[in-house]
Amino acid sequence: MTNSWWEIQILCDAVLEESMFWRLEMFGCKGMSSQREGNSSVIAAYVPKVSSHVLDLSALALQVKQDALCFEVGEPSIQWRLIDEEDWASGWKAYWKPQNVGDRLLIHPAWLPLPEHTDRTILKLEPGVAFGTGDHATTQLCLEALEMRLGDHPELITIADIGCGSGILSVGALLLGAKKAYAVDTDPLAVKATQENVTLNNIDPSRLEVAEGSVEVIVDMIPEPVEGIVCNILAHVIVELIPEWEPFTKPDTWGILSGVLLDQAKAVTDVLEENGWFVSALWKRGDWCCLNIRRIN
Amino acid sequence: MAKKVVAMIKLAINAGKANPAPPIGPALGQHGVNIMMFCKEYNARTSDQAGMVVPVEISVYEDRSFTFILKTPPASKLIAKAAGIETGSGEPNTKKVGSISRAQLEDIAKVKMPDLNAIDIEGAMKIIAGTAKNMGVTIND
Repeated sequence: MTNSWWEIQILCDAVLEESMFWRLEMFGCKGMSSQREGNSSVIAAYVPKVSSHVLDLSALALQVKQDALCFEVGEPSIQWRLIDEEDWASGWKAYWKPQNVGDRLLIHPAWLPLPEHTDRTILKLEPGVAFGTGDHATTQLCLEALEMRLGDHPELITIADIGCGSGILSVGALLLGAKKAYAVDTDPLAVKATQENVTLNNIDPSRLEVAEGSVEVIVDMIPEPVEGIVCNILAHVIVELIPEWEPFTKPDTWGILSGVLLDQAKAVTDVLEENGWFVSALWKRGDWCCLNIRRIN
Repeated sequence: MAKKVVAMIKLAINAGKANPAPPIGPALGQHGVNIMMFCKEYNARTSDQAGMVVPVEISVYEDRSFTFILKTPPASKLIAKAAGIETGSGEPNTKKVGSISRAQLEDIAKVKMPDLNAIDIEGAMKIIAGTAKNMGVTIND
């Protein structure tokens, strides 16, 4: 069994919850979950199998019971078992359904049968554990903005996709007719997912170059300035990256930025303006927004 | 009509660092929540609190959609901060690592009150005092 974890479950009086969180953190658990059942809490915590032995878990059980003594409540029950990473990583996919995005795309889970009839362009997606499933408002806004930006002559447009995640934006742009996409992500699993999604959608592999890294990597990948930049990460990361875009942009390069909450838009806009960009349109959905940007000429 | 809540899950995780690894994957995956969507939302809302544990309470609805609210920091973090220590004692019965005053205890209890299973401030203080004791932190009267 690879990538196995010890799942530690503690059933205890709810007043013990904070103390149990402390004890589990001391044990090396990186985060805990809990659910209430009446006056009891069911706490779950996880440690990699390789970092703990059964004897360590037995010692933890004794400490947990000792911790309960000073609260004068019933003795907690504790149990543990080994779980495989795949048991949960794919569980949510059972509920993921095909989804229309914008006027032209249908985001379609790779493992579901394709529809017999659709007038939409199907984007088959296997996100793995990378960001970008098409469900999130920011992904949808970016795809809709791409649809608008690619316009009547998408074959002339090359894009840079910074923080590509599952590759959904690059693949979407290529399916909508873009000439080429250069994509980077600091997560190697995202790079792998992007490559797989290009293959899954029968896109000529020469139309997408993907690599692990960030702007410093994409600068070396791109032979001449791009027509468009897409960047759907988070506001504080985007703000750090904006000053580094100069080498691969030109006066008429546009950008589509998301992963930005509405109350963060002003801060991002300020940094854009300091670096020679302006927001030509701000699209909102829920608490999120998408900034359509252009160079200040 | 309001959507039916099928699960309420509390997670104690690091601000801005949510990812599909445990505990998030198992906790949310079993309820059909799109894990990456939660991670993106949580990271965006906690990115300005890097280095802190920011607990979150997630309501999962029958259509597998979710909402969440950020909660108060763990009691152990507030106790350690008040005591001026990095971490607690591995042997709390024999090795004390710090102390807090009763006024500090009451302050922490007030902060944590909304998230504790306590009906009044005395009950909340008792819970915080118990956690402090288990950390090897004494309460000075």
